Amino acid sequence: MRLAWKITMLAMPTLAALVTISTLRAQQPAPPTQNEELDVGQLFATTCGWCHSDGGRAAGKGPQLMDTKRDDEFIRNRIKHGKEGAMPAFGVVFSDAQIDEIIKYIRALKPHQG
Amino acid sequence: MKKQWRYSCLPVLVIGALLTASSAFAQSVDTARIEAAGQNDWLTYHGSYKSYHYSPLAQINASNINNLSVAWIHIPGRSTRGLQSMPLAADGVLYYTGSYSRTFALNGATGEVIWSYFPELDEALIARQTHSPYNRGVAIGEGKVYVGTMDGRLIALDMKTGKVMWDTKLLDSQKLTVGFTGAPLYAKGTVVIGAQGGEWPGRGPIFGVDAATGKKKWEFLTVAGTEDAMKTWGNDSWRTGGGGGWMPGTYDSENNTVLWGTANPAPLYDWSGADYKTQGARPGDNLYTTSVIALDIDTGKLKTYHQELPHDAWDFDSAVGEFVMLDRDGQKYIVHPNKSGYIFVYDRNLGVKNVWRITQNSNFVKDIDPKTGELIGRRDFSAGKVSEPLCPHISGGVSWNSGSYNPKTGLYYKLGQEWCMTLEVQKTTPIVAPQAQLNIGADFKIAPPPGGEIYGHLDARDPITGAKKWEVRFPEPPLGSVLSTGGNLVFVPDSRGTVHAYDADSGAELWSHGDGTGHQGGIISYAANGKQYIAVVAGFGGMASDDYAPTFGGVYKSMPRDDGALVVYSLK
Ligand code: HEC
Repeated sequence: MRLAWKITMLAMPTLAALVTISTLRAQQPAPPTQNEELDVGQLFATTCGWCHSDGGRAAGKGPQLMDTKRDDEFIRNRIKHGKEGAMPAFGVVFSDAQIDEIIKYIRALKPHQG
Repeated sequence: MKKQWRYSCLPVLVIGALLTASSAFAQSVDTARIEAAGQNDWLTYHGSYKSYHYSPLAQINASNINNLSVAWIHIPGRSTRGLQSMPLAADGVLYYTGSYSRTFALNGATGEVIWSYFPELDEALIARQTHSPYNRGVAIGEGKVYVGTMDGRLIALDMKTGKVMWDTKLLDSQKLTVGFTGAPLYAKGTVVIGAQGGEWPGRGPIFGVDAATGKKKWEFLTVAGTEDAMKTWGNDSWRTGGGGGWMPGTYDSENNTVLWGTANPAPLYDWSGADYKTQGARPGDNLYTTSVIALDIDTGKLKTYHQELPHDAWDFDSAVGEFVMLDRDGQKYIVHPNKSGYIFVYDRNLGVKNVWRITQNSNFVKDIDPKTGELIGRRDFSAGKVSEPLCPHISGGVSWNSGSYNPKTGLYYKLGQEWCMTLEVQKTTPIVAPQAQLNIGADFKIAPPPGGEIYGHLDARDPITGAKKWEVRFPEPPLGSVLSTGGNLVFVPDSRGTVHAYDADSGAELWSHGDGTGHQGGIISYAANGKQYIAVVAGFGGMASDDYAPTFGGVYKSMPRDDGALVVYSLK
């Protein structure tokens, strides 16, 4: 639960977060609500993008996610449990609601304009 | 009665085992012996404290190399992300590790297993890790074999039996998600090992541990480890962390120091623009990341350092563990390759003496001043698409694997990598507590160099001036280590799975042999019962090699990334 809370920090504006950093240690996190917003674009830039290139638009170490033929169940399962030697497991990091956000982002991926 | 019989049987077995192995355990391995680097052995990751990756053995040479063939192989099993370790050899026994820190002692002449040790690891934690579960090797000394684990432990095994002598938890890996993949270094009663770091919030500790007891002696934090260093992380950004020292460095007995290279700060890419001292994700120089540091081996106190790339904004870290110790014309030098492909030449106090570059394609800076080491014309990005591709690619101008210095030819044999990347830098919210691994700060994609193709090259160069004698090219960058020998040979295990041997003077290819899968680890030479062997690990997979199938196709499409073997060659 604490971990899930940390993810919500990602969605906050940078400046606000910078201000919070110094007090972060002192504060006790409030329990997360189930429908927290996750900035998935930013998540790809920090975490997923080394393997899912160009925000998930291109194949890299991992497959291209844009236009994936996999169903939601498969994607959810892969994100939660990862795959040995290929992709880390994110089950303890994201809540189900946050994984829904990630799936939504993947489904909405379009090629860059221009 | 039955019980008694079993017990009485034990001593007989033990005596039998001791007899067969007695020649193998003739002497103990200590600091003086590693320093002396006897020709039959390979006693520490870099061959000796001089870090030459050179064997004086000359039984195998240009005149007979056509008779070189496989003597034996060993399959460690469960080689997730291939094999990446550097075997060691002492008194005819070979010690090496596979993924999950599986550790083996093998008869160097036959490959027969003397003992094996598979640590029980926190597998749920390992499933969360990105740079895992490979292991890059062991250290030996004082009758023990030392190995680190992905769940933050350093373990000592009895060299003769593989029995656990001590098992010390050094890192809270559950919390930090990082552990140890690099080989430890043994010197002067101390075992030194550095944590992973780079992309994680954490302060990238390097540890000194008592070899006899396993007790921690000291810990040095590569992120803001001193008061001065703390000032180089504006806005408390040391909390986003990074650093670490995930490859073994070396020991300088004259100065009583450990030399170590440190990893990059997080996030890898910064949106600061030119004002990186005051703006962006981590304003300031970010000491002691992307630096070479000299620590007192007894206390872990920082004696001196040089930050190769102040405020590294490209992930071209200094984690490469090679510190090639040279004497020339009464001067003592240290040669250390930075991941960017710039090779730094220092005096023994880490004062810059020269800087030269091994790559053709490089544009993260215009140049590095060879007199001062100062970066000239650095590219500090702002958020958004980066117009001109960044060279080299995130996998580096050189690998974390090692080159080889041959004192007979006076040449340094080192692999360079020519590749670039397109990049869109993203302004991200600071990640100050471990959540998921990686903190990159950009979307990116591998790209060929401007006007050309991706390739790799083996260079034979003067290690101090960088003057090039010859070069051999490879269609895909080789990622493994290089070995040179007294037989005037240079061995390169390449990415496709072929081991090549070249004439050390001319670069002419003299021999090659397929190992069945790509290489990205160590290669050594040693002698057992008076016979010379070449040992190389084969097995592909990991953050650099996982790009090969999508980028190059061909043989990489079917190349396993969960398999590997130790292949040992000798003359027929
Ligand atoms: C270390 C590399 C790596 C990282 C980091 C990574 N992935 Fe993956 N991912 C992979 C690989 C490799 C596969 C393919 C696994 C297989 O063999 O089925 C994959 C598969 C997937 C799939 C299934 C796609 C398909 O068609 O099979 C999804 C969805 C996915 N990843 C999402 C993510 C998300 C979201 C993140 C970040 C939170 C992420 N990945 C981080 C390497 C990675």
